[in-house]
Amino acid sequence: MTSLDVRDMLDLPDSGSARPAKKQKLTAPRPVLKGLAREVQNLSGDNPIAIVPEVSAFKKKRFGSRKPVAKWEQKPFKNSARDGDPLVLRHWRRKTERPPVPPVGEDGNVEMGEGVAPKAEEMVEDSTFAKYNVRVNVPEYTEDEYNAKLQNKDWTKLETDHLVGLAYEYDLRWPVIWDRYEPPLPAPDAPDSLLGLVLPPKIRTMEDLKARYYSVAATMMAERKPPIKMNSVEFNLHEVMSNFNPAIETARKKFAEGAFQRTKEEAREEESLLLELKRILARADKLNEERRELYARLESPPSTGNIGIYSSSQGLQQLLQQLMQASKKRKSLMGNEGISPAAGPSQQASFDRRDSSVRESISGPSGSNNNNNKKGPPPGPSERRQLTDEEERIYGVSRHERLGNSGPIYRHDKISKPVITKSSVQQTKIANVLNELEIPPRLIMPTVEVGEAYESLLQSINVLLDARKLADKLDGEIRIARQQKEEREKAARLEMEMGEALAEAGEGDEVGSGSSDSKTDEVGSGSSGSSDSKTEREKSVARSVRGGSVARSVSQGHKRSASVLSAASDKSTKKQRR
Amino acid sequence: MLDDGKAGKGASARGNSRRTENRTPGPVDSSTYLDLTVFIKEVDHSPPFVKVDDTTSRAHNGGLSTINLVGSADRHEVSAIILDPGYSSVRAGFAGEDTPKSFVNSHYGVSDAGKFTFGDDAIHNPLAGLEIRNPMSKEGIVEDWDTATQLWEYAITSRLTSFKQSDPRTNGLNDPSEHAMDVGEVEEGERTLGEHPLLMTETAWNTPKNREKAIEVAMESWGCPAFWLARNSVMAAFGGGKATSLVIDVGASTASVISIHDGLILKKSVQKSPIAGNWLSSQLRALFASTEPKVNLVPHYAIASKTPVDAGAPAQATYRKYETKIPDSFRALQEERVLTEFKESVVQVWNGMGRLNTVNANGVSNSEYVKSQPGRVFEFPDGANQMWGVERMSVAEGLFDERAALPVPNEPALAKAQTIPEMVRQSLAAVDIDLRPHLLGNVVVTGGTTLINGFTDRLHNELTAMYPGARVKIQAAGLTAERRFGSWIGGSILGSLGTFHQMWISRKEYEEFGVNVVEKRCK
Repeated sequence: MTSLDVRDMLDLPDSGSARPAKKQKLTAPRPVLKGLAREVQNLSGDNPIAIVPEVSAFKKKRFGSRKPVAKWEQKPFKNSARDGDPLVLRHWRRKTERPPVPPVGEDGNVEMGEGVAPKAEEMVEDSTFAKYNVRVNVPEYTEDEYNAKLQNKDWTKLETDHLVGLAYEYDLRWPVIWDRYEPPLPAPDAPDSLLGLVLPPKIRTMEDLKARYYSVAATMMAERKPPIKMNSVEFNLHEVMSNFNPAIETARKKFAEGAFQRTKEEAREEESLLLELKRILARADKLNEERRELYARLESPPSTGNIGIYSSSQGLQQLLQQLMQASKKRKSLMGNEGISPAAGPSQQASFDRRDSSVRESISGPSGSNNNNNKKGPPPGPSERRQLTDEEERIYGVSRHERLGNSGPIYRHDKISKPVITKSSVQQTKIANVLNELEIPPRLIMPTVEVGEAYESLLQSINVLLDARKLADKLDGEIRIARQQKEEREKAARLEMEMGEALAEAGEGDEVGSGSSDSKTDEVGSGSSGSSDSKTEREKSVARSVRGGSVARSVSQGHKRSASVLSAASDKSTKKQRR
Repeated sequence: MLDDGKAGKGASARGNSRRTENRTPGPVDSSTYLDLTVFIKEVDHSPPFVKVDDTTSRAHNGGLSTINLVGSADRHEVSAIILDPGYSSVRAGFAGEDTPKSFVNSHYGVSDAGKFTFGDDAIHNPLAGLEIRNPMSKEGIVEDWDTATQLWEYAITSRLTSFKQSDPRTNGLNDPSEHAMDVGEVEEGERTLGEHPLLMTETAWNTPKNREKAIEVAMESWGCPAFWLARNSVMAAFGGGKATSLVIDVGASTASVISIHDGLILKKSVQKSPIAGNWLSSQLRALFASTEPKVNLVPHYAIASKTPVDAGAPAQATYRKYETKIPDSFRALQEERVLTEFKESVVQVWNGMGRLNTVNANGVSNSEYVKSQPGRVFEFPDGANQMWGVERMSVAEGLFDERAALPVPNEPALAKAQTIPEMVRQSLAAVDIDLRPHLLGNVVVTGGTTLINGFTDRLHNELTAMYPGARVKIQAAGLTAERRFGSWIGGSILGSLGTFHQMWISRKEYEEFGVNVVEKRCK
């Protein structure tokens, strides 16, 4: 229906343009428009709306590609997860165009089929699913190892073998292992059967099986690799396995069983009890809260806050403002006189923010304030689910002291720092050690774990270098001591020669050495001390040679005390004496 | 214990029950082994199956078609054949399809001349004078291997492999009763199965000897390149989209309740009883004998014509006379078909609160309540029809309540341990406590007899009453075909997975280790 028809019906005068002319106009867009567009067009009447017909170009493209149909063929494939079994199955694969392979072309393929077959067998593709074939690792042990480490009075080797075999076969699915575990009968020539007794097979619980398996696995793990050398994952596994306690597990299962077999009434009762408990706890919280508030009102608020901030004049001013604010709130009697107009509004604003940190840091403790803070919503982090330690390990959550005392640092410093801070001599030494271990000075893949390992490695290198340094030092000292000893022996020989001449003077030398001995005591012990005493001794020998028999009798008493004081020098003297 | 990535994804849906399970040491548990869980997970992603347990979506998109499967990422078709023999029917088809292409009645006919005829097209002909037999025992395992082999061969060759124009005898288009299968068929089978790996199902209580026989038949008689023997309960669990589940399978000859953990049956949990479709038929016969007036069960083939009669009135039908004597076994099979019809359209399980004979809150027993409700009319082939009220529920009540079972002459009374709730209880009692909540959350119901009206509702009621603390979730396919062919569908899923192809027992392995390779491999 057009507007013309409406006019016609209502006997309205014709709007002017002739009917056939209009029709002529309308015919042009009409065939293009379809559906809703056409109806809209019709509604518009004399003043046609410009409707742009939708061009559906994609329909043309449908027939655009005139490619030949994709060809598929049944291709043989093997599965490398089948342990070398040559089963070749066939599956459909898109035919790939490889011109060089069929020299005759498409038609020749049929005839060629037989001839090409052996060649094709060789390059049979492997199943893409073979990689999913992963077996669980179970402990392996030899007869000797079993006898040495794994003996158990409850388990024979046969049974243990059977258990480990099942564990491998069923990939450690314990319910299945327990279900399928049947104690193997001992071989007829086994010593047990000589008695003629057939022992009733032991009924083993899943906990027994687990305990045995884990103990075997943990023992063999420690045997293959000492716990000190294990990495953290292995060590944790070892810990878990060696700490398995079947008693706890049994008790847990008993509880689980009890919980599982609750009747409906019991379940409902427990639920209601839990609800009750919750209610009581909530009420207790409220009660405590009220009580605390009451106490806070009764007692003067203890000044737990830091009064240091009030020590300056500015701090005092703040305190004054704060107190006035508090009293104003209580009675709103006090005027504004104490506050400077500039500071007023801003302070007001900060005070009105109930749980702003600004306020918390400056406000003195007052009962009502504390309550307000407690009633507020808990701070953000606690809303997040707290991960347990285990979960953190699983998800790889680690916490870093990023902003330590020294401010922000680059993480790579962690690697370079231990090296750079050393002296250049040390650096080259460390580099040498790393070279020796074939570890690049800059890590290729510095993950957290690798970084940790690297750090511990550097630490041990430092220890090593320290030890080496000490060893060198000690070596040097030993060498010196040896030289000294030789010299001393030389001197002793000299002395002996002289002693024959001056028999009396040999003892007299102790007079001088008495004081020198006490001196060496201060200097220190060990070889360094002895070298000092040596020089002293030489001097004193010379002196005594020169001095002759001066004050011979006095030296006796001194000698004794001196020898007590310095064991080191004493030894050297004795050596010398000999 | 860490959950490995793949299992973890799937496990998240299982909810809280998983948490209590097996949290003992041994992160070794988490190794990414190839397990059957992975198989199921892959099925979940694969587009053609969309979601294995989502029955409605499959119904709408016209089911799983083979066209999409080729070249799909997870699927890996090697044109394996899945064979799922049961007491009442043999299901066979290609892996990756959603229903078996070949569905053959397990009953076969033996003519006077001793020739065998197979298939529904042939065995229901009263003129042939066929003796009806079944190669399967009452426990659902093969008794007569020679015939079973021929029957399966028929199931495979008639629809799946040898679709050849040249041989009209076996393509199922002609009347095979006139052309009995001859010895030449065996050679035919040998050639045709030569390219297809065969995945066969078996019951959980199959004997080792039978299993060895199965691989022998597949390898020696049919010449399969590869073979695998799977438990039908595990397959049903896979068909339900679960790797760990409690499978309640109520078929024709046996009902079984079996716990499955990660695609492996727990042998201690296997429970079976004869309370299944055939038992229900015997209940029906007992009911028909005890009603007043007695219901005369006359199969269709014996009726020449009938005239409509009022409800409860005696039938007015003319009976067909046969010159040859119709064997009793033939009549029994035909009667069974009528009973099946009756079971499908009338029989119902009480699915309200409690049991049929318990008294509800108003002091009225449930059976009284049912009596007050309108019944259902069933017209027998001879025209006799009757309204079935509370009887239609009382016949099936024995599935859940042994005291409600009707006494059947010459058969021992039902024991409590044979009812389905009791079997569930015993099955669960034989598995680890950590597993039980998980199993109850993944109950898979399969088998044709579970299609009785109200069965899953009742089962859910019984289980929640038995385990009030646990969350019971029953997974029962909504489509009739999926419920009946649950284990075949599971086999179809398994056989079309890329990761399964390393599991096949190849011909070489068979030749190397002999028949007992099946005991070693198919656990």
